[in-house]
Amino acid sequence: MDATRKANLDRAFNPQVIAVVGDKKITDYMWLKSVRDAKAKVVSVQIDENEIPGILEMGFENYPSLADVPGQVDYVIVAVPRPVAPRIVKDAIDVGAGAAALFTSGFAETGEEQGVQLQDALTQMTHEANFNLVGPNCMCLYHSKTGIRNSADQWIGEGGDIGFMSNSGTHATSFVMRARNNGLFPLKSISMGNSISVDQGDWLEYLGDDPEVKSIGMYVEGTRDGRKFFEALRDVAARKPVVIWKGGQTREGARAAASHTGHLASDMALWDAMIRQTGAIRVDTQDELMDAFKALHFMKPFTGNRMGIVAQTGGQSVLVSDAFGREGLTVPDLTQESYDILEPIVTVVGGSYKNPLDVSGSLTSIERGREMLDTLAADTNTDIIVIEASIGFISRRLERQGKTMDDLIDMFKEFQESTDKPFGVIATWNQDEAALAEFRIKIADRGVAVFPSFQDAARAIRRLREYYVTQAELAAGSQGPWRSRRRGRRH
Amino acid sequence: MTASASALFDETAARARAEGRLILTEEESKSILQEQGIQVTMPTLASSADEAASAAENIGYPVVMKVSSREITHKSDVGGVKLGIADADAARAAYDEIVASAKAAEPSAAIDGVTVQSQAPGGGVEVIVGMTRDHQFGPVIMFGLGGIAVEVLQDVAFRIAPLTKRDAGAIVREIKGYPLLTGHRATQAVDLEALEGVIGAVSAFVSETSGVAEMDLNPVLAYADGTIAVDARIVLTAD
Repeated sequence: MDATRKANLDRAFNPQVIAVVGDKKITDYMWLKSVRDAKAKVVSVQIDENEIPGILEMGFENYPSLADVPGQVDYVIVAVPRPVAPRIVKDAIDVGAGAAALFTSGFAETGEEQGVQLQDALTQMTHEANFNLVGPNCMCLYHSKTGIRNSADQWIGEGGDIGFMSNSGTHATSFVMRARNNGLFPLKSISMGNSISVDQGDWLEYLGDDPEVKSIGMYVEGTRDGRKFFEALRDVAARKPVVIWKGGQTREGARAAASHTGHLASDMALWDAMIRQTGAIRVDTQDELMDAFKALHFMKPFTGNRMGIVAQTGGQSVLVSDAFGREGLTVPDLTQESYDILEPIVTVVGGSYKNPLDVSGSLTSIERGREMLDTLAADTNTDIIVIEASIGFISRRLERQGKTMDDLIDMFKEFQESTDKPFGVIATWNQDEAALAEFRIKIADRGVAVFPSFQDAARAIRRLREYYVTQAELAAGSQGPWRSRRRGRRH
Repeated sequence: MTASASALFDETAARARAEGRLILTEEESKSILQEQGIQVTMPTLASSADEAASAAENIGYPVVMKVSSREITHKSDVGGVKLGIADADAARAAYDEIVASAKAAEPSAAIDGVTVQSQAPGGGVEVIVGMTRDHQFGPVIMFGLGGIAVEVLQDVAFRIAPLTKRDAGAIVREIKGYPLLTGHRATQAVDLEALEGVIGAVSAFVSETSGVAEMDLNPVLAYADGTIAVDARIVLTAD
């Protein structure tokens, strides 16, 4: 992507004037509403006499065409019927907009002839004009800082630091919503749609170059130019974490191959290879995506694999060890020094002061819990500290001491700040699901990584460890391509 | 790719295309790979039983004999491969048997003769090194357990070419069968550096040239002191 294109995208993300073309009552004026809180002047372009009164009622100015909008239009949202779309995009080009996002669908994704032809026309038009078209068939752009959104339900505000790009509008939209519920702050979310003008490689490069974006996530189903994407990923993943959620994993490529290699080179095998080569992070579900970002943003970096664990009961101790073991993490013996401290405080019959600490009834106070965590963190045999907090179990005891779960969460936060070792909380089952959900949200809001199960915690920690190890390897070695050695003819 | 490998590939590819072929013969494929610095068992073409015997005498026993026909790609399926041939009489007999068997199985195929090549020593681990050109990513490299294991277990890993040193090391360690390469019980660890060298040489070859669509080196035998590619196939792009 050249400097002009990039500057124009910046202008669209930080607009002074936003024009929404073709918004309708039947969709509850979703696009005008999505940007009405933006730090920009928002105007409507609509020629349908039946739609205009509703738009004026909401307080927006309405114009018959983009050319009639006074001043420079920076960002255009296009929601017109398909046959009209090319003309509106042409208008957006002519008025010098930074970008147009085309919500309208019915193009090449349908596979039908007219849709393909219209998309080809759009592709040609935008390429000739060197114009940034987002989509078509997309949920447009989100930027928390300037208040442009994929949907009016999304959070906006200061402090966002995650960039997200998605082949699916649903995931571009829901990433923002779920990220906020996981204590994370999204900055930009891009619904790429059919990405005919700005493609996956361009978007990745764009987010990579954005100094406010600290980490990048994506939902991708494929890429037209895999080589370009690979180069962009190699470049960007070396500078900031990139989490890749790949859809269409079981899709079989149509391969007529004359070799074993050709038969076995499935789409997912190659994406997996690319992720390993570039030091990106692979996840397979949206939940894993959230877990990966929590671990990235809240846990300190680590390359070790030795867990120090506080579990609530004996039964949980066995399962938590299994879960971490399956992901190649170990639960080692502690030092004698730690045992000397823990033995007198893990006093309940049937409990264990070995790792994982099976505290059973011994977590009698917040101070006691802190003492256990401090001991695990100080132990030279551990690299990563986690605590299981099943809230029904603990909250009743805290209540009797006049304490609340908030006090416990404060302790987690203080402990996290006191140690160099990465820390996570596993908030498992509880009879009261609503209270559990609230507990998790509160922990995440304090910037502490919280996972819903042992398995989820173990998987996220394993993936993050692979990430930090790979990055260290990539940074250490020279990464030039393998070249042929010159050799003489053998006779 | 080395200058000589490049020249030989271009020349061979042009000849094959002129003959309407996209699949290079084992001899052609191995000659190119040998120029690229990969150890191979080089086949010698014999067009009679006596020629086969004399080729075998030159090479030294035991030898492997395979039918040579541009129209037969799965040689063992037509009874076209014989292993462990230990003397000249056996080589003569094998020649006649292979030709008869291939003719019976594929009566319309033109048979050039039978190739004779050294039989690689026992004790090696069979691996596959391959390449294919993906519609999204271009040339990609595969490594895995070879021989028939690749068909049954599909224990393979990929990298997008060109590979770095780290990639070549990592692709070898990624497969489940990696412990077979590091020695177990009585077997010795294989020469991983040599194996990574083969992977690197294939990556360099396909990255520095166009015109290769697919490639299998299968199997490559990995030993404690080096590797030998005992079968290989290069497939040209259709354009």
